[in-house]
Amino acid sequence: MSRILLEVEGLSTHFMTRNGVLKAVNDVSFTLHEGEIIGLVGESGSGKSVTGFSILGLVDPPGKIVSGSVRLQGRDLIGMSEPELRTVRGREISMVFQDPSTTLNPVLSIGTQMRLALAAHEKVSREAADARCIDVLNKVGIPDAARRLDSFPHQFSGGMRQRVAIAIALLNRPKLIICDEPTTALDVSIQAQILLQMKTLAQDFGTAMIWISHDLSTVSSVASQLLVMYAGRMIESGPVRDLLRVPNHPYTQGLLNSLPEHARPGQPLVQIPGQMPSLIGLGAECAFLSRCTRSDSLCQASPALKSSGERRVRCHHPVAGDWS
Amino acid sequence: MLGFVIQRIIQAVVVMLVISVLVFVGVYAVGNPIDVLISPDATQLIREQTIRAYGLDQPLWKQYLDFLIRLLHGDFGRSFVYNMPVLELIFSRLPATIELTLTAVLGATILGVPLGIYAGYRPDRLLAKLIMGLSIFGFSVPTFWIGLVLIFTFAVTLGWFPAGNRGPTASLWGIEWSFLTGEGLAYLFLPALNLSLFKFAMMVRLARAGTRETMLTDTVKFARASGESEFTILTRHVLRLISIPIVTVFGLELGSTLAFAVVTETIFSWPGVGKLIIDSIATLDRPVMVAYLMLVAFLFIMINLTVDIVYVFLDPRLRHRRS
Repeated sequence: MSRILLEVEGLSTHFMTRNGVLKAVNDVSFTLHEGEIIGLVGESGSGKSVTGFSILGLVDPPGKIVSGSVRLQGRDLIGMSEPELRTVRGREISMVFQDPSTTLNPVLSIGTQMRLALAAHEKVSREAADARCIDVLNKVGIPDAARRLDSFPHQFSGGMRQRVAIAIALLNRPKLIICDEPTTALDVSIQAQILLQMKTLAQDFGTAMIWISHDLSTVSSVASQLLVMYAGRMIESGPVRDLLRVPNHPYTQGLLNSLPEHARPGQPLVQIPGQMPSLIGLGAECAFLSRCTRSDSLCQASPALKSSGERRVRCHHPVAGDWS
Repeated sequence: MLGFVIQRIIQAVVVMLVISVLVFVGVYAVGNPIDVLISPDATQLIREQTIRAYGLDQPLWKQYLDFLIRLLHGDFGRSFVYNMPVLELIFSRLPATIELTLTAVLGATILGVPLGIYAGYRPDRLLAKLIMGLSIFGFSVPTFWIGLVLIFTFAVTLGWFPAGNRGPTASLWGIEWSFLTGEGLAYLFLPALNLSLFKFAMMVRLARAGTRETMLTDTVKFARASGESEFTILTRHVLRLISIPIVTVFGLELGSTLAFAVVTETIFSWPGVGKLIIDSIATLDRPVMVAYLMLVAFLFIMINLTVDIVYVFLDPRLRHRRS
């Protein structure tokens, strides 16, 4: 196995809202190796995006990282000063967002935006900067890149815009790219292209990725490890193939059963009954309790994370696996 | 782009024609200037001669046509009161107003926008709250009152600045300007400050609202995630994104201040066009009123055209929609 790149340990990010403390991310831990692609899945509000932003130290107030550590090659990013963090952002860890039509600045040419991202980390001449930009644009599959530097975001299609955003993320050759649902806003046909391309780019550049998505099938086609989040907690993790074949947490099992691929024609799609509890005022009980068919009195206390080999699960009554 | 400008110029001509009818009819509907022009004890003969001399016996449409024909020859007529060509009269006053207005609006923008951006960027800081307090003050205090307070404080009590009038001027391009002499600047300061307070308040609020909104967008988050500094984000991203409404208001304010700086000009005895129009309304000096209103309409059209052209430079999306 290659060397460890990122260690997230006990990460908790809370939002101090008027109605109480919203525990968006609660005691999340995972390890990422160099060049590895890890998938972070969960439904809306499960805390997967906030986890991504927490790693970069980009949680907007009233959100706050309340505990935990994020060690990038041994250096803890939490507690780092803003200027120090700025040298990490974009150069060591960069991020691609969901909707490229809102991430790119509509009034600046893509060349200007790329040069700004480059200038944030090193002083380079205009010519050298342009050469770097053109090179990366070519790599992400923008045809005729040299001429398109002066184009504005609205002159690109949605897929091309996302490629530009990816190019900006790759510009300083980061060790890790956090992809926050980068294909969700795109056409299905473009999704597949971008997915494949990002996988290839990650391999070529040796870049590790955290791929955040609510779409299990998308994630499983890029990631080698999968992390399932529910109500701000990591409830299950393991190698993709293994986890999808034998889910251990009742929630993961429910998710997999509700995939349309598993539906029988003529039968309604399977769903998990109920909905995710509010993240404000979460009690001591297991967050999945109200939706779970396997619960008993033990589940009044939130289960601890158990591990067995490469698999981890947070459940008193896992549906499968050896968790003695 | 050129097609757009030509189209706008044609529109402008039509608008000016419509304005000229409205202004002409409107002004001629109020009062009879003949009573102002001749002394009350003049004979009927003199009265009729005067009426004929000014063409006031003609039907309205004829008077308007004559006016239009003279207009096309660049002749706005003579002022009844000053007995000199109207255009010459207005242009002798216009530089003073332009100077005052530009100083006030530019000063308000140059100071108000950065302060507004700061107030939007760090809304919880004490300084931000101070800036906003000042802007509420600028919005709510009437111009004439703050003008009097300024005169009382800085001219009468402290004696730092002159209380009124224009002071010495120097010539540039054949026009007299105050800002070219040190003493002239001192005369310019108080009226410009008085005039700019409201505009400053508006610019602060505009920049603050835009900044607060923009700081929450993914564009800013993405720039931050790329490691760009907060200064770069504010100056390169945010400023550009909030500039459209700022340019709009700048244009509107410039136009309305040029036309209606009356209160400030009156309080500070500033010899600009605002004072001229008030005087000419009082004396029913029709040619001055008509020419002045036409000029104001023309200024607005020119400012709006400029603003539209600036939009195209600020927002590339407009540029490509047109071509």
